[in-house]
Order: sequence, then structure tokens, then C-alpha cells
Amino acid sequence: MRLPAFFRTSVFQLTLIYITLFGVSVAALFVFMYWSTVGLLERQTNEVLDAEITGLAEQYQRGDMAGLVEVIRERVRRPSQERSVYLLVDVALRPLAGNMTRWPPQFDRPAELVEFAYTDENGMEVPVRARVMAIRNTGFRLLVGREIRELAQLKQTFRRAAIWGVAFTLALALVGGVLVGVSAQQRIAQLNRTTRQIIAGDLSKRVPLSGFRDEHEELAVNVNAMLDQIESLLAGIRHVGDSIAHDLRGPLTRLRSRLEILAAEPAPSRASLEECIAQADALLDTFNALLRIARIESGAYRSAFAAVDLSRIVRDVCDLYRAAAEDAQLRLSCDCTEGAVVFGDRELLAQAMTNLLDNAIKYTPAGGRIDVRLETDDRDARLTVADTGPGIAAADRERVLARFTRLDQARSQPGNGLGLPLVRAVALQHDGELKLGDNAPGLVVSLRLPLVGAAQPQTSARSGELTAELGRV
Amino acid sequence: MRVLIIEDDKDVASFIQKGLVQAGWNVDHADNGKDGLFLATTEKYDALIVDRMLPGVDGLTVIRTLRASNNGTPALILSALGEVDDRVNGLRAGGDDYLVKPFAFTELVARLEALIRRAGTKGSSAATTLQVGDLQMDLLRREVRRGEQTIDLQPREFQLLEFLMRHAGQVVTRTMLLEGVWDYHFDPQTNVIDVHISRLRSKIDKGFDRPLLHTVRGAGYRLDG
Repeated sequence: MRLPAFFRTSVFQLTLIYITLFGVSVAALFVFMYWSTVGLLERQTNEVLDAEITGLAEQYQRGDMAGLVEVIRERVRRPSQERSVYLLVDVALRPLAGNMTRWPPQFDRPAELVEFAYTDENGMEVPVRARVMAIRNTGFRLLVGREIRELAQLKQTFRRAAIWGVAFTLALALVGGVLVGVSAQQRIAQLNRTTRQIIAGDLSKRVPLSGFRDEHEELAVNVNAMLDQIESLLAGIRHVGDSIAHDLRGPLTRLRSRLEILAAEPAPSRASLEECIAQADALLDTFNALLRIARIESGAYRSAFAAVDLSRIVRDVCDLYRAAAEDAQLRLSCDCTEGAVVFGDRELLAQAMTNLLDNAIKYTPAGGRIDVRLETDDRDARLTVADTGPGIAAADRERVLARFTRLDQARSQPGNGLGLPLVRAVALQHDGELKLGDNAPGLVVSLRLPLVGAAQPQTSARSGELTAELGRV
Repeated sequence: MRVLIIEDDKDVASFIQKGLVQAGWNVDHADNGKDGLFLATTEKYDALIVDRMLPGVDGLTVIRTLRASNNGTPALILSALGEVDDRVNGLRAGGDDYLVKPFAFTELVARLEALIRRAGTKGSSAATTLQVGDLQMDLLRREVRRGEQTIDLQPREFQLLEFLMRHAGQVVTRTMLLEGVWDYHFDPQTNVIDVHISRLRSKIDKGFDRPLLHTVRGAGYRLDG
């Protein structure tokens, strides 16, 4: 059925809300206008009636019944713009004075406002509002009324205007709501069509743009941007998958053939078995490094980020590598500004730093120099590791940050092509930036990380406290 | 040595079990937290190997429950490559050490032995001198002597030797050294630790007939008296 589906659309809901909102506001407007015009007239009429009836009652208290009757007769005779009605009756409801012949039977209770149709001397029916009062100690009753034809007419006009006004507003709201809703509906239907096509497998589809700069257009632009991102990520994943297959097939094949040869031997040597294990371990290391990069990139570590003392990490890792550098006949210098506190994961940062130093030691020929420097400005900490090795050509600098890239001159060294990709993943997760540059000669890697509480210079005393708090995990 | 493995992954469990049995250990296995908890409370073990993720009652709950009932059997937690705060949560729950899968069997055994030994010597850590063979370490005066000869060590070398001496007779892996001496918990991968060890070795073993510091192939190092 077409209808129930329509009721569930946001067009219908929006229109309904639109109508309700409009209806209620117009109704409220009418109520207010009614209260401030008709209400005012009514209150004035009531006040006049009150004043007159109290005046008459006082007249009676000052004089006597005869005086009251006289005054009423006087009033009846006096012509006035608006017709007035008077009637004084005794206990048995017999009229004593006034221009009405009969006490209206339905108005018995005193001190009450009543409305009724009064038939005047010409036989015309006139709407009248009246107040009834019992006169004290006598059982007589007095009725004073006033013609309210204009008031009634005004009320009538108002009621009609209100009904038409509200009806017209609702109709307008309905039309407006449907128009606005349907156009939105069409845009969304288009978006839905595109997403369904994408779900069906065609990732190259994009939401058509209308060129009209509204929020629907913004949504469409964002959806398209998201799709671009997904497409490029997918391409990246495909590339990584291919690389993994390609890079791991080699060592696996070698391991397999070696095992095959061993299986053919009557008594395989312990050493060759251990070599096989070492090869399998190297493969496992590669897998672990891949998994770690993937985990870092997924943001899994972010939830455990805390303030960490980068200066201490840099010093620790330099300390860890100093011996290795000396063994490789390299001079390792560590010029480290104290108290650089960043928001991050201590292990990841240490691992990244380790990878950088590892690379530097691996590729710098004996007699060279590695300079580690940690500087801070008011916003960032900047860690640079500069070596005097062969460096990386400008054209290759972006490439080595991708997984499994091993430059030709690096093939002779052990490694899996995952060192710098891990550093970059760590940098990105810390809202930092990794850059490779020319140390002329050599490579300079710089890692920029935002400081905690940037703009306030950190004193070394403060960082000492922090370090103590961080403690051991 | 008697060990209980609480692990639902059959492959991992039988891999550990086979290896430990071959090494002469007594091994029980439970494949879920409930059975594991039951065994751990009713039997006497030297150590527990507990997987973090278990069907029913999870590993941390098992350990927490044991600790709450004053059972202090040392526990090694196993976990898949990690949710980051795993290590912290694991140790907070009362675990004594933590190992991320996949791991080398030698690493597991080394850590297990260290755990059992630590549990056995609890309270004696206040000792101010350590001795392995003719190697002596005075922790207060920060002095090391071998026989009659004073050995001059850098602060980090001193820490390294102290760690090895506290684990004398056991295999100590590179990861354990990085954790114990440098207080970092990632896999050092390259030979950085080896370089430190070889420097230490040249200081304590050079010129002596009997070497104390041995390399255990494919595993790590061992200091023997």
C-alpha cells in the first residue's frame, strides 16, 4: 500500500509538525485578539451594569421603595444611545417598575450576570445582558440590563474570522509542508538510490550535485568525499594485501624448500632446524609489525593516551642505543630539551624512536654521526634524528613511508620495510607529523608532536613530578 | 613444577602443554574459566597460565577471584595482540606477568620460571648483597666484585647485572631485560640488548677461566654460578 509508507516518511511528519505549529500559533493569536477586544467590551459592559445597579441599590437605602421606583421610571423615560432595561419586582415577582413586563423565569438567583433576548415595544428581539440584585430586607429584586447587539455582532464576526483564518492557515501550512517536504524527499531518495548502488558493489557511483548550496548539497558533498576516502583506503588495503602476499611468499617459499630438504635427510642437523625456526620467527615478526601498525592506525591505543615525558623517552632510547652505535663506530649525540610533555602512549613513542635510531645505525657507515635533538617551541615538540648515511632521494621520501617499501640500496640490510610506516602511524595517532629531509649528506627525520598544555613553558621540575606520577605500568 | 593452563584455544593450550610436559613439568588444562577457577582453588599449583579471553568467566575475573580468596599462586596472563590497557588491567587484577600472543615458547618458560622463583623468594628482596658464583654485588655501596677484583660498571650495566643476578640460573629473554632494566614493554627486535650484554660480559667474564654469562640460543641469556 502506498499510503502507510507515506505516513512513515519525514515529509509527512514534517508537514504534520508544520501544520500543528502553524495552527496552534494562529489559534493563539486569535485568542489573544479576542481577549483584548471582545473581552474588553464585555468587561466595560459589566462595569457599567455594576455601577448602575449599585447606584440604584444605594438610592433605595438612602430613600425608600417609592423613591427607587421613581428613579427607575425616570431612567426608563430618559432616552439613551444604548437601550437599557430595568425591572423591579416584589416577592411574588410582580413588576413594580421598569420597561419589562415580566420577570424572566430562568433568572432567579441574585447578583448574577444573565443574557437573554428582550422583546422591545416594537416587537424586535434585542440581545440583552443584565445583572440581578436582591434588595436587602424586602425580598424585592432588581434587574438592570443593557443592549449588547454590537458585542454580539463583534463576537459573531470574530468567530467567523477565527474559523476561516485557522482553516486558511492550515491549508497553507499543508501546501507549504508538502512542497518543502517533497523536495527534501526527492533529494534524499536520490541519495538513497546512490547508496544502494554502492552497496550493490559499484563504489565509483557518486551522489549527483544540484549546484544549490544548501544543507542537502553539503550532505551530498560530504558523502561523496567520504566515498572518495573509502575508495582510496580500499585501494590502499588492496595494495597492502598484494604487498603482504608478495613480500611474505618469498621467505615462506624459502622456508618450505629448506624444510623439504631437511625432511629428505636421514638425520637433520640441529643447526639447520634452528635456522628454520629463526626464519619462521622473522616471518612472525613481520606479521606482528603489520598487526601493530594496523592497530595503531585503528586508533585502538588512543583511549589509553596520557601525558608522557617525551624528553625522558628520548633519553632512555638514546641510552639504550648508545652501545649499539659505538659498536658500529658511530657517534651518537643526544641534545634533549627537558620537560617536553606530550599526550600519548609511552610504549608507542619509544617504539617509534627505536625504529628511527635503528634505521640510522643500520644505514650510516662506520665513522659517521647520529645527532638526536629534541626541541620545543610554545606549541610543539620537534624530535630530529639526523645521520650522515646515504640519505634518501627526495623522490623516494614519500614512498619509504608506505609499507614494505625497501629501497634498492637497503636490500643488503635486514629489515621488513615496516619501520618508517610504524613511525608514521604513531605520529598520525599523536596528531603529529613525520618528515624526511636532507642532512647533506645523510637523512634527517623530523617528528613533530603537539605539546600538552601548549603555550605554557614546561619547567623541568614539573616534568619530574609528572614522570614520577606516570610511574611504571 | 605443577602448572595449570586455563586457555580455550585448543592449539595454544596443547602447544604449551606439550612443551612443558617435555621439559618435565606437570600440567593440567582447563578450557574455560569456571573449571579453571575450580581447579585453581582445589589443587595446589606452582603457577597459572591464564588466557584473558575465556568463555563464561574471563581470565581477569578468575585471577581477581583467586586473589580475593587469598590465593597467591603466581599467574601469567596471555592475551591476543593487544588492547592497550590490557597489561595494566591484567596486572591490576592480580596477574604477575603478561605475555602477548603469538609468543615464543622459550619466552613463556623463561617468564614462568621467573614467576615461580619470585614467588618462592618473596620477602628476601630486602637483601643488600647478591652473589652468583664468585660474583658479588653490594646493592648499598653499588659495588661489584668478582673474586678479589673490583669491577667498574656504568649505572645501566649495574642495573642489567642486578636483574641477571636476581634471575640467576634462569633464562632471561631480551624482552624481559627491556622490561626489567629499561622499563619499556615493546619487542626490541634488533640486537640492542645483545650489545649491552656483550659489554657486560666483557667486564665480568673477561680474564676469568669460567664464564658466568651464557647465551641461550634462540631464547636469551642465563647467568650461572
